[in-house]
Amino acid sequence: MTISSQRSRYPNWFLLPTILVFGFLFVIPTLTSFYYSLTDWNINRRVITFIGFDNFIELFSDIKFRATLGNTLTYAFSVTFTRNFLGLLLAILLNIATLRGKNLFRTIIFLPYVIAPVVIGYLFTAIYNPSQGILNQSLRTIGLAFLAKDWLNDPNIALFSTIMTDVWRTTGFSMVIYLAGLQAIPQELYESAAIDGANGVRRLAHITLPLLAPSITINVVLALIGTMKVFVMILVLTNGGPGYATEVMNTYIMSTFSLGLYGSGTAANIILSLLIITIGLPVLLLLRRREVEL
Amino acid sequence: MTAPRHLQHTLLILLCIILSAIILTPFLMMLVNSFKDVRESALFKLSPPANPTLENYITVLSKPYFWRGLRNSLIITTFATIFVNLFASMSAFIIQRKEGKLGKVLYFALFAGIIVPISIIPTIQLMMQTKIHNTYLGIILFYVAINLPFSVFLLAGFMKTVPREIDEAAVIEGCSYPRLFMLLIIPLLRTPIVTSTIVTVTAIWNDFTAPFYLISDSKKWPIVISVYNFVSQYYTNWGTVFAFMMMVILPVLVVYALLQKHIIASLTTGAVKG
Repeated sequence: MTISSQRSRYPNWFLLPTILVFGFLFVIPTLTSFYYSLTDWNINRRVITFIGFDNFIELFSDIKFRATLGNTLTYAFSVTFTRNFLGLLLAILLNIATLRGKNLFRTIIFLPYVIAPVVIGYLFTAIYNPSQGILNQSLRTIGLAFLAKDWLNDPNIALFSTIMTDVWRTTGFSMVIYLAGLQAIPQELYESAAIDGANGVRRLAHITLPLLAPSITINVVLALIGTMKVFVMILVLTNGGPGYATEVMNTYIMSTFSLGLYGSGTAANIILSLLIITIGLPVLLLLRRREVEL
Repeated sequence: MTAPRHLQHTLLILLCIILSAIILTPFLMMLVNSFKDVRESALFKLSPPANPTLENYITVLSKPYFWRGLRNSLIITTFATIFVNLFASMSAFIIQRKEGKLGKVLYFALFAGIIVPISIIPTIQLMMQTKIHNTYLGIILFYVAINLPFSVFLLAGFMKTVPREIDEAAVIEGCSYPRLFMLLIIPLLRTPIVTSTIVTVTAIWNDFTAPFYLISDSKKWPIVISVYNFVSQYYTNWGTVFAFMMMVILPVLVVYALLQKHIIASLTTGAVKG
């Protein structure tokens, strides 16, 4: 029996459940969305007519949508940068061999990641409460009363407050990925660097960061993809407000949906997909290359 | 250890304690205030309750929709996770072993599914047309669809380490492919199936978006949507809101405390192993 005839005996029908379910509820809606985004489909219309790129033109000429795009990018890049910066520092801290209790600290810092974001959102509406919330209370106690703000209702800082909530929630995740990356660096490299007289900063710049590059890439891209899809955190914390100061793509899509503007909402969804693909594609290529190495 | 090193170590421990406090304080605030009455809980103080009361918990536990939410979350999560694991194992087995054309096309389509976000409005439309919108079946199938890609990759990656000789020996002995799969392959895939289960359960249990759009009947809402609706009703009584949220996260906290090593490893496995 040749290898290829042996292989061809494996039954293809084993793939059927995946093809059916994934094809039905992911592939079909994704493909039809291209068509719907080019139509005037809305709640009042029985007949859907093709209108070309009108939805897209309308979206980009809408000042609220442009602000939404800006907010989404600001949110995504700010959360990504901050959680990676802090996550890396925490990983370096918790990678110190002699540090006692580091597993416990790791478990605690990762904890918010397993809690439903809706609960975390409500928890932070209490924390950000301008008069009684513990954030402002503690600022006043330590004599920084001038920093106490109306965190979620001041249009200038509301987006910042939602960003910090997500940083609080997801830094532990980035940290764990960096920890795994750090633990894969051979200890001998540091030992020989120490013999050569390299100080801490040089070791960080010449050994740790270059060897951590794959972890950094994965971490940054995962964070960007995840944060551009943000929905429930914003919904619960600010519902896009005040005004549209914290409106993001998924809350915008929700509001067009509730207004019954289905064609326009689908077009917005496609813009979000394109945004994510542009940033997610590098990962795809990276993962593929890794697979070749395996 | 020399004196300055000792001092350095103490300072680092202190730093870790401060960081842990930043994470734990919000949870602590929720816990202590869940035992306070309306007025006291509205102050969000970290101090222990002046007159500890179980009133909030009694209110929450007497709500039928709390129990219904819990039951719905259990039903949806359990069935979706079973199907994700079963379908993903079957696909991973064929994709990796057969290396056929169909498998390759499917693999590529699943790849897209990891990155491209769902198009929610066409999904709702399609589910309404096929009469599965607002049903358990509909949301379970939806979760299976969006969670399959990750599990297929995980399992297909692991399949490579299962020697082909096992299949060959079994087939020569006259074992059929379904039997081979059930009796030999599935047990060998135990480790990645545990990982896939942890990832899928966490994703579904905490998910808000799918039930928000796909379930309109309040009797079928999972617990996450119950919280959302409860808070909009009881917004002025934070003690009760905190008690409700404590009850929602309690099972998660217990499981996390018991399995934290496995959970952390599983949830980061996609990023660490690629």
